[in-house]
Amino acid sequence: MHQSAPLHGYSKFMGNQTILVYAISLIVLIVMALIAVTLGPVEINYLQSLSTDDEMVENYILWQVRLPRILFCIAIGTSLGLAGALTQGLFRNPLADPGLLGVSSGAAAAAAGAIVFSGSWDWAMPEVLRVWILPIAAFCGALSICFLLDRLARWLTPGSVMGLLLTGIAINALVAAFIGLSSYLATDEQLRNLSFWTMGSLAGANWVILSLMMFVLVVAFLCSQKLSLQINALSLGETVAAQVGINLKKLRQRIILMVAFLSACAVAWCGMIGFISLIAPHIARAIVGPDHRQVLPLSMLLGALLLLLADTLARTVAIPAEVPVGIFTALLGAPFFLSLLAKQRKALIQ
Amino acid sequence: MTEDKILLSLKDVSLKHSSAHVCRNTLGPFSIDIKSNERIAILGPSGAGKSTLLHIMSGLKECTGSMNFLAKSLRQMSVQELSYKRAFLPQQHETAFNLSNELIISLGRVAREHDPELIQIIKESARSARVEHLLDRSYQTLSGGEKARVHLARIFAQLWDQHNGIMLIDEPLAALDPGLQIELLEAILTFCHKRSLTVIAILHDIQQAIEHFERLILIKDGKIMADLPSHPAPQRELEILYEMKLERFTRSGRKDLLIPCNPRRPHTI
Repeated sequence: MHQSAPLHGYSKFMGNQTILVYAISLIVLIVMALIAVTLGPVEINYLQSLSTDDEMVENYILWQVRLPRILFCIAIGTSLGLAGALTQGLFRNPLADPGLLGVSSGAAAAAAGAIVFSGSWDWAMPEVLRVWILPIAAFCGALSICFLLDRLARWLTPGSVMGLLLTGIAINALVAAFIGLSSYLATDEQLRNLSFWTMGSLAGANWVILSLMMFVLVVAFLCSQKLSLQINALSLGETVAAQVGINLKKLRQRIILMVAFLSACAVAWCGMIGFISLIAPHIARAIVGPDHRQVLPLSMLLGALLLLLADTLARTVAIPAEVPVGIFTALLGAPFFLSLLAKQRKALIQ
Repeated sequence: MTEDKILLSLKDVSLKHSSAHVCRNTLGPFSIDIKSNERIAILGPSGAGKSTLLHIMSGLKECTGSMNFLAKSLRQMSVQELSYKRAFLPQQHETAFNLSNELIISLGRVAREHDPELIQIIKESARSARVEHLLDRSYQTLSGGEKARVHLARIFAQLWDQHNGIMLIDEPLAALDPGLQIELLEAILTFCHKRSLTVIAILHDIQQAIEHFERLILIKDGKIMADLPSHPAPQRELEILYEMKLERFTRSGRKDLLIPCNPRRPHTI
């Protein structure tokens, strides 16, 4: 019934100003991507690679390594930004973030379990399916944590910012125990995979995963556009949202599914990349205001921008070595989170 | 009264056990019939269960018993369908993000698939609730009374093009200064009268209830103590309800005035 709630075209923000904001961030993103392509252990010169097409090593690097990676980076950043904006809308809480609340770690724990324990099923599984173990496990993990969190936070501490974050801490601790158990049981090789993967890396990019990710993103974006007005209504409180005709249960389930799916995709293919999903919606809200019809698409764009920045740094700071990108996002994000806390001090002390 | 004129009827409705467990005193069972175009005030001491009764009518609490709205069982109607005919103004207003007032008002009509006159309706309902000058301001910069008016505009927008609906209001005038109280009460009542909507409002002011509403539902200790017309002013029932003495002033051409009097002084009834 609600799925086709239209975008009302009345808001002043939908005018030239907003289009300008989107245009600028899109141009910045494209320029950054073009610059990022040239940077790396092997320098790529656009003119050179265009003129001499087939035999060059640079050509291979450009098409098979760097370009997929940069596009993948943009895709993952986009999904992280959207997941963050949706989570904040769902919990009606600007400090909510899939990472902080334990959704990403839930996905990570399930995926870690899959890395360690799936080795024993090798004989039962054809090669094709093995690629999918990680994403599926991550999705199940993220989904169950999302539902658990939604239930727990609303049951234990309804409507409290602190309560939600504390529930997140508890869940994170629980999940960390499981990750710890998995790494305790892991063999040496599995352990190396595991530890590199928990820090986050975008090095695994290829065209197959990339096209899949793009498909996921387009679907998620269209769904989120349909839900954005209802998320606006949700921010007036559950009482009011129910009274203006929002089917809360359905809305909540849909958002949870989307958040779980988006964070699971990110976690499964690149490990834990924190804070992007917290920061992007905040910057978006600072630019276009709190209306979710604008916040959702803009946080997608900004998420892509931020992750591209972090990943380019991660690739180039210590050439030829590569620093895990999670380290950079954490360096960027932790101070940002603290500054948010400082801003919200009044609300939190109460 | 014929059956079809009844808008909302509650029969032996009480809270479901799980939610009743939280509050100690038993509430209900409530049985009320509400016709269209009525003006009903709910009065009672704090904690008597006024808000709970209103929440039951607005479907916020799970209950046992049967509730019919527009000759249909409430359980058979979808939230969307209900939102066209029933609006509720809660006592407290919170927003998670700093939405603009215009957006908040528009959210009253969020359940409509196709809404060509939205802009016009937002403007008109903002005017009716005296907030048209606040449309561009953000919600968090408003005072308590202004916030209440923005939400009033939201439920105006919600029922703007409806007839035969119901408007449930929980202490609409609490945070307003006296002049605005009367102005807004008038606005609510004319709005509903024009559209033959029923208003059910929880009020604290006995005088406003008697003056502007035609039916009083008195709630005491979780039960309906009395359900009577506001004219002539039911002094004895109100005295029992609030456990205090009231002094009656008769005025020519207007309804009687009931004013709480100091128990130490001698009084006459």
